[in-house]
Amino acid sequence: MSEAATAGGGGMSEAVTVTLVVNGRPVTRAAGAHLTLLRWLRDEAGVTDPKYGCGEGICGACTVLVDGEPVSACIVLAAQVDGAEVTTAAGLLGGDGSLGPLQRAFHEHHAAQCGFCTPGMLMAAAALLSAGRPASREEIRAALHGNLCRCTGYGPIVDAVEAAQTEAAQAEAAQAEAAQAEAAQAEAAQAEAGQREGRR
Amino acid sequence: MFTRAFRYERAQRYTDACDLLREHGEEAKVIAGGQSLLPMINLGLVQPGLVVDISRLAEGRELTVTGDGYLVLGALVTHARLAADPAARAAQPLLPAAAGQIGNARVRNRGTLGGSLAHADPAAELPLVMVALGATYEVTTGQASREIRAEDFHLGFFTTGLDDDELIVSVRAPVLGPGWGWSFQEVARRDGDFAMASAVALIRSADGLIIESRVAVGGVSDRPLRLADVETALTGCAAADLAGRVGPIQGISPAGDTGASAQYKARLTRVLVTRALAEAAARAEEAA
Repeated sequence: MSEAATAGGGGMSEAVTVTLVVNGRPVTRAAGAHLTLLRWLRDEAGVTDPKYGCGEGICGACTVLVDGEPVSACIVLAAQVDGAEVTTAAGLLGGDGSLGPLQRAFHEHHAAQCGFCTPGMLMAAAALLSAGRPASREEIRAALHGNLCRCTGYGPIVDAVEAAQTEAAQAEAAQAEAAQAEAAQAEAAQAEAGQREGRR
Repeated sequence: MFTRAFRYERAQRYTDACDLLREHGEEAKVIAGGQSLLPMINLGLVQPGLVVDISRLAEGRELTVTGDGYLVLGALVTHARLAADPAARAAQPLLPAAAGQIGNARVRNRGTLGGSLAHADPAAELPLVMVALGATYEVTTGQASREIRAEDFHLGFFTTGLDDDELIVSVRAPVLGPGWGWSFQEVARRDGDFAMASAVALIRSADGLIIESRVAVGGVSDRPLRLADVETALTGCAAADLAGRVGPIQGISPAGDTGASAQYKARLTRVLVTRALAEAAARAEEAA
């Protein structure tokens, strides 16, 4: 232990207290200031879905969302993002612990082989889909270009993201249709009530 | 991955950060986005005793176009913001285009303008563009500020004109003047890798003749290089004959590596300069 940590080093110490909202759950830990967000998540908070690949921000295995934006957790200090909302692949699960739509699409399209890149791929894809703008296959490829996969050849991953996007759009359309039908029904009911009122 | 522990201080103002740098000298390192520093720490290339975080300063995020024709950018403007900002794209499209080529989306979300310039990687996009544009950097010790021209700032491999207690505060780059065309070209083995070579061209033309140009190359020397002899050779030349005016590029010293030989990089540089000139000339014609 260094002098600074024991003696306080003139107001500076090696441990810093960091609070992050990880997948909706506030987590506070006092840990070494030198810990990257990735090490903080894995070693201090027990969130092990983001993976350590290259340590240089190139491979994307550690991709998490910080306040909604994808970052390489291996090259951000946890202390730097104190107070942020962090979403990892586990944060994409449904409330009952079942696979979320994007995860299900990855499963159905065989978009994971060894699985090491998958948590990062999911987060890069989640960031793209959350933009809410329909992305072309080319745009999906561009959004994933910073995430390396040595197994799948990328095709199934792009398929999965495309399918999840289509599913989301269909769900949204069905929801809009249902809302419209409900509104029409309410209007009809109101008209009928008006007629009855008129007859009286 | 198992980095040596260091102390961490989050500065509230540039002044505080500069004070800490003065107090701790060599053992202190500044972090903003950390997209260069943390890879170097993870690889064991740097072992700071103290990391001074300027990423959460209230200042340093301005992005304004001035009445006298400059785009002024705070040092903490991220690459993602610079690449997407409508005002920056309208005022000086070369800068956002180059910022959009940096690394990957994650790097661009965290990485900052000042960080890229102060890191001074000879293959980096933004130092090259700043040298080509003739931009100036405002630097501060917290007590006094001064301006340095980009060309005087970038001295060599990861070496700059910054003093130990100085930080870049902002950058002034001229907006794209009327009648000017621009181009940014780079080639990397994979999308997101550092460029093997890169080139920037800015051209002003009238009636198909080049009136003025600025040409610079990156990744093939210890710093971004303006190619004054190419610029001189182009003046008065017909835009259609540009390619014939570009011979082997003089004054560069590309380093061969496992990806490409020095000879290949030298040829690539000439090709990229030619492509940049053609695109810039076409845009200048459109603008005229």
